[in-house]
Amino acid sequence: MTQTARPTATQPPVTAAGTRPRRAPGRPRGRHGLAVVRHLVLLVAVTLFFGPFVWMVLTSLKSSSEALTFPPTFLPRVWHFDNYTELFSAVPFGLYYLNSGVVTGLSTLGQVLTSLAAGFAFARLRFRGRSFIFAVLLAALLVPFEVVFTPLISLLSSLGWLNTYQGLVIPNVPSILGVFLFRQFFVSFPSEIEDASRMDGAGVWRRFWSIMVPMAAPMVGSFAILSFVYNWNNFFFQFLAVNKTEFFTVPIGLAQLQSTNAASSFNLLMAGSTLAILPVFVVFVLFQRQIVTAMSGGLR
Amino acid sequence: MARRTAPVPVRWEVREGRAGYVFIAPTTLLLALFYLYPLAQTVVYSFTDWNPGTGRVRNVVGFDNYADILGDGDFLRAAGNTALYVAVVVPSSMVLGLVLAAMLATPFRGRNVYRALIFTPYIAPIVGSALIFSYLLTPLGGLVNNTLGVFGVAPIAFLNSQPWAMVSVLVFSVWQLVGYTMIIFSAALTNIPTSYYEAATLDGAGVFRRFFSISLPLVAPTSGFLAVTGVIGSLQVFTQVYVLTGGGPLGSTETVLFWIYQQGFVFFHGGSASAAAVVLLLFGVVVSAAQFAVLARRDAVEMA
Repeated sequence: MTQTARPTATQPPVTAAGTRPRRAPGRPRGRHGLAVVRHLVLLVAVTLFFGPFVWMVLTSLKSSSEALTFPPTFLPRVWHFDNYTELFSAVPFGLYYLNSGVVTGLSTLGQVLTSLAAGFAFARLRFRGRSFIFAVLLAALLVPFEVVFTPLISLLSSLGWLNTYQGLVIPNVPSILGVFLFRQFFVSFPSEIEDASRMDGAGVWRRFWSIMVPMAAPMVGSFAILSFVYNWNNFFFQFLAVNKTEFFTVPIGLAQLQSTNAASSFNLLMAGSTLAILPVFVVFVLFQRQIVTAMSGGLR
Repeated sequence: MARRTAPVPVRWEVREGRAGYVFIAPTTLLLALFYLYPLAQTVVYSFTDWNPGTGRVRNVVGFDNYADILGDGDFLRAAGNTALYVAVVVPSSMVLGLVLAAMLATPFRGRNVYRALIFTPYIAPIVGSALIFSYLLTPLGGLVNNTLGVFGVAPIAFLNSQPWAMVSVLVFSVWQLVGYTMIIFSAALTNIPTSYYEAATLDGAGVFRRFFSISLPLVAPTSGFLAVTGVIGSLQVFTQVYVLTGGGPLGSTETVLFWIYQQGFVFFHGGSASAAAVVLLLFGVVVSAAQFAVLARRDAVEMA
């Protein structure tokens, strides 16, 4: 209570003085010094958190001996772009990429469509058992996939779905989080437009496709991006569901490359890491704002 | 108009309600088959000697699996490692994330670039970034040992010796998670009215005083959220352990999930794997329930 009372009491002098509120009066030098310290600390942080990725890309272009040389070189002495062609001939990395693309694309599409439909129904349609089913979903959110993986994999095995695209995609399709996000969106969305269109004779499917889905487009975008990053980075499930090279995805192929390739050619491993990280990095650069707001707002 | 506001469902609502089942069918049926059914199986199998390799259940063994795992040194060590992981990674990532978020709270040139670069480890695939770490930490020629060598430190086998292997896994995990805690705290700090800081500044409070007296207490609910999600996330750690150390040396970096994976898919002890999974689940539910209780109490206090 005291916390809220104090600022309101001292608010008038700020506006009365007419100064820019952010600058502390009478302490310009201290502020400047702090700004320098802040930049220094942040530069150290960037070196620690982003530096490894720079080092990865540079190493992926060095020779295997230069990758382990002392003292280490920063820029490659000779730029070995051929490391990437060598990687593709050492392991079927193109196939891994294709598999990851298919699995990520289909999983993302499935998550978006099913979550949109269910979110709409839970928010806007009245049917028996709606609250009960929704409560079951709420409870299921508490159960991480990691708890159920042993029987799940044996179920996939008895369906003959291990080492198949459907086995990699379909169990990943239902997204409780997605249902929540879209339900939340549709609940808070004014119903006048939908009502008007119903008066005009539009059925429930028509209203869903031509009114609700377009309205939800920004939300669809944010969720699709999150879903893409999640599916591209997925390791544990794919690691269990696949053991044939033909169905390896990028993360699985990379882990396999590490275990077969010994420690000798870190340049090739770093080329593989670069290729694994590149798609999410590109998506992040393009959609940084959506990712950050979706992650910081949507998960609460 | 009058019909629309009626409390009893009107005819079109009943008719369209049926379409609701079709809309929710994909999500609910898939969840039932690939989530709830295996969950029920996990609970049932935890009381049997189920073999995931053959799919057979020979005997119902009651609580033997639970008694076995609680007397199993390997399981207890894995549980201890997971507890250590929670105790180190959750608070460290939160403190670092909050400090970085606070430094990035007010607008200045380059702020978004700093934030994006620090956030990157969180969205990079763990296999890829863990491989970078295994390269940086390699004994002969890795950047970390090269740097230590300048100061006369003999090469350390970070990923193959105790206690360094566990230290490496913990450091990697903090590094990977800080970007997430940072943006969550950033969102929380953005919600604090700037007038609070202006008033405190006028009263003569410095940067640190403002941080400890305003920011810190007001992000407490966010800290609670991050602590719970952090604990739940810690229960699911697998990938970085698999890539960095493979659980070794001598099982010293095995987590509970790693242990369950080995029981189920290496030794085919489906009963013990299921019992451990149930223990993991119960622990997660307790933590979540604690969060709900704390949140509910806080809401009650604020409303009073």
